[in-house]
Amino acid sequence: MSSIALEKVVKRYGAFEIVHGIDLAIDKGEFVVLLGPSGCGKTTTLRMVAGLEDVSDGKLSIGGRVVNDVAPKDRGVAMVFQNYALYPHMTVRQNMEFALRPLKLAPGEVDRRVRETAAILGLDALLARKPSALSGGQRQRVAMGRAMVRTPEVFLFDEPLSNLDAKLRTQVRWEIGKLHKRLGTTILYVTHDQVEAMTLADKIVIMRDGHVEQVGSPEDVYTRPANTFVATFIGSPAMNLVPARLMGGKLQAEAFTLPLPDRFAGRTAEGQAVLIGTRPSDVTLTAADNPGALRATVEVTEYLGDDALLDLRVGLHEMIAQVPAANRPGNDASVHVTFNAAGLHLFDAATGGTLLS
Amino acid sequence: MAYQATRNRRIFVLFLLPVVAVLFLTTIYPMLYAGWLSFRNYDLAKPFIPRIFVGWANYAEILSSGTFLHALVTTLKLMAMTLSIQLVLGVGIALLVTQRLPGMGVARTLLLIPMMISPVIVGLVWLFLYFPELGYLNYFLSLVGLSGVGWITTTTWALWAIAIADIWQWTPFIMMGTAAALHSLSPEPYEAAMIDGNSRWDVFWRVTLPQLKPVLISLMFLRAIDAFKIYDIIFVLTKGGPGDSTEVLSMFIYRESFTFWRMGMGAAASFVSLAIITVLVTFFFKSLNRDRSALE
Ligand SMILES: Nc1ncnc2c1ncn2[C@@H]1O[C@H](COP(=O)(O)OP(=O)(O)OP(=O)(O)O)[C@@H](O)[C@H]1O
Ligand SMILES: [Mg+2]
Repeated sequence: MSSIALEKVVKRYGAFEIVHGIDLAIDKGEFVVLLGPSGCGKTTTLRMVAGLEDVSDGKLSIGGRVVNDVAPKDRGVAMVFQNYALYPHMTVRQNMEFALRPLKLAPGEVDRRVRETAAILGLDALLARKPSALSGGQRQRVAMGRAMVRTPEVFLFDEPLSNLDAKLRTQVRWEIGKLHKRLGTTILYVTHDQVEAMTLADKIVIMRDGHVEQVGSPEDVYTRPANTFVATFIGSPAMNLVPARLMGGKLQAEAFTLPLPDRFAGRTAEGQAVLIGTRPSDVTLTAADNPGALRATVEVTEYLGDDALLDLRVGLHEMIAQVPAANRPGNDASVHVTFNAAGLHLFDAATGGTLLS
Repeated sequence: MAYQATRNRRIFVLFLLPVVAVLFLTTIYPMLYAGWLSFRNYDLAKPFIPRIFVGWANYAEILSSGTFLHALVTTLKLMAMTLSIQLVLGVGIALLVTQRLPGMGVARTLLLIPMMISPVIVGLVWLFLYFPELGYLNYFLSLVGLSGVGWITTTTWALWAIAIADIWQWTPFIMMGTAAALHSLSPEPYEAAMIDGNSRWDVFWRVTLPQLKPVLISLMFLRAIDAFKIYDIIFVLTKGGPGDSTEVLSMFIYRESFTFWRMGMGAAASFVSLAIITVLVTFFFKSLNRDRSALE
């Protein structure tokens, strides 16, 4: 039985439809990340699960029970807000205690839970402080602590790390990951940061404009993107897409021809317009006399430390290659490249869908 | 250079002069004069008698006089009645009009009207309502089967009659300030409380009220200063009567000065009032500062 289930869930504001019939099943104990560009409806979806927004249409269940008309407090969820939402006039301890008040626990139990949670999150020394006397990372941990003391069935996180600097973000991300392993609670986590999604998620839900584009493990969405949107959204720098046509069993692009890898056999039609997808790391420099080597011009070289990014022009096509920085070519250099056939993706040019599905 | 600087300085002083002059004539001089008067025996009915220096005699007489103490107690009583009810009503109405309900914007504007009317007019309006035989209030009471009361003619009701008029006029002030403060509270903690399941009552007492406290203290403080000086409504409605049941400090000062013509006494009473207000202000700022640091 899944912990959270969305069936054709729709959200409308007046006549304006924001979320268009989302289907999603989250298993107990799973860490699921909603990932997508700004404004795609992640927060709206999360708030519907929390009960802060009504579900306009469809069915939302938590723990096997339909909760469309159940008050937020009766859904067994705890939420960590993007801007922490701490009570500004209360100390860290009071913030956590206030979340426990509705449970009407014995004072000893309240104290035990607060101290246990504070110990896990390293808040022991801060219990008497007000939020205004805490750093962003500390406030973030208090917000998590306030959600944790209640020992809910489901944790909801809305971009909990977006207000933190890069270093703190990595650290708190780590802590959230450890926390999930330790507590094993179901987590629904919203972010537009793909690194957060890739590192934390058991399952990533990629959204665009109120639709779900793909659901899968981090490896799934990276190695088997369902369409060009997912392919270019996941991975940095983005996947190169080159338009081509299938002619006589070969991929015929404007500037080059590639043999069709075996795994696509039978999945394509003669004359079909496709998009060839290659990750920058699958574009490698090669010697001119290698079979299949393509002439390319380096427009710009970007040095990243271990690696360098080359903005290449192959005939009419522009693409990016990620190569070891050690013997990188300079700007305007003329080079030869080849594509790693194992990492080749093909999408239908008309629909954008993968040809591998 | 030196010449230029002095010249600029002179012009600077020149521009300040009119303001200083106005301030001096309207505030500082009357106050100094009143201070001077408070130590004299000055009977306006016999202005030709020299204004003899009497030391602290006026103050001594005031502080030992039953009438002054009675006026002080009446003022504080009226203040307690009006402020407490205005606080509860004002906060209650503010909570209501900040709900996202239809018509609340209009309601809020209409509710502000009493505050914009001059207190004398408010007094007159309520005079019509309170009128023993012809007043609307008793008429409405008779419609629901209640016998009317002598609102401004009996010592039992007169102070309440004044309190009600004042509450009617100034509750909107508390409402307006509170509503503004409510709008400035961030909504997320409320959503958090909603998910955690805290009761509305708990949220009001432990989340809303503590955050409103500094604003409420300021509003109450402004009201307290006004209530301490309350004059117009009483002058129109009861003139301090019946008996001395509504004689507040300002009525006392007015009567001493302009009914009995004892200007020295009036001035001394004004200074005692000033002293009391000053203590009030000091106390207020202390408590507000304490509150600020508590919020941080
Ligand atoms: N109350 C509302 N009325 C109308 N439209 C709304 C309302 N709230 C949100 N929207 C719209 O719904 C869409 C989705 O908003 P949502 O906040 O879910 O985006 P998001 O994916 O969380 O984006 P971000 O990453 O920027 O937080 C946006 O286009 C937004 O303008
Ligand atoms: Mg959002």
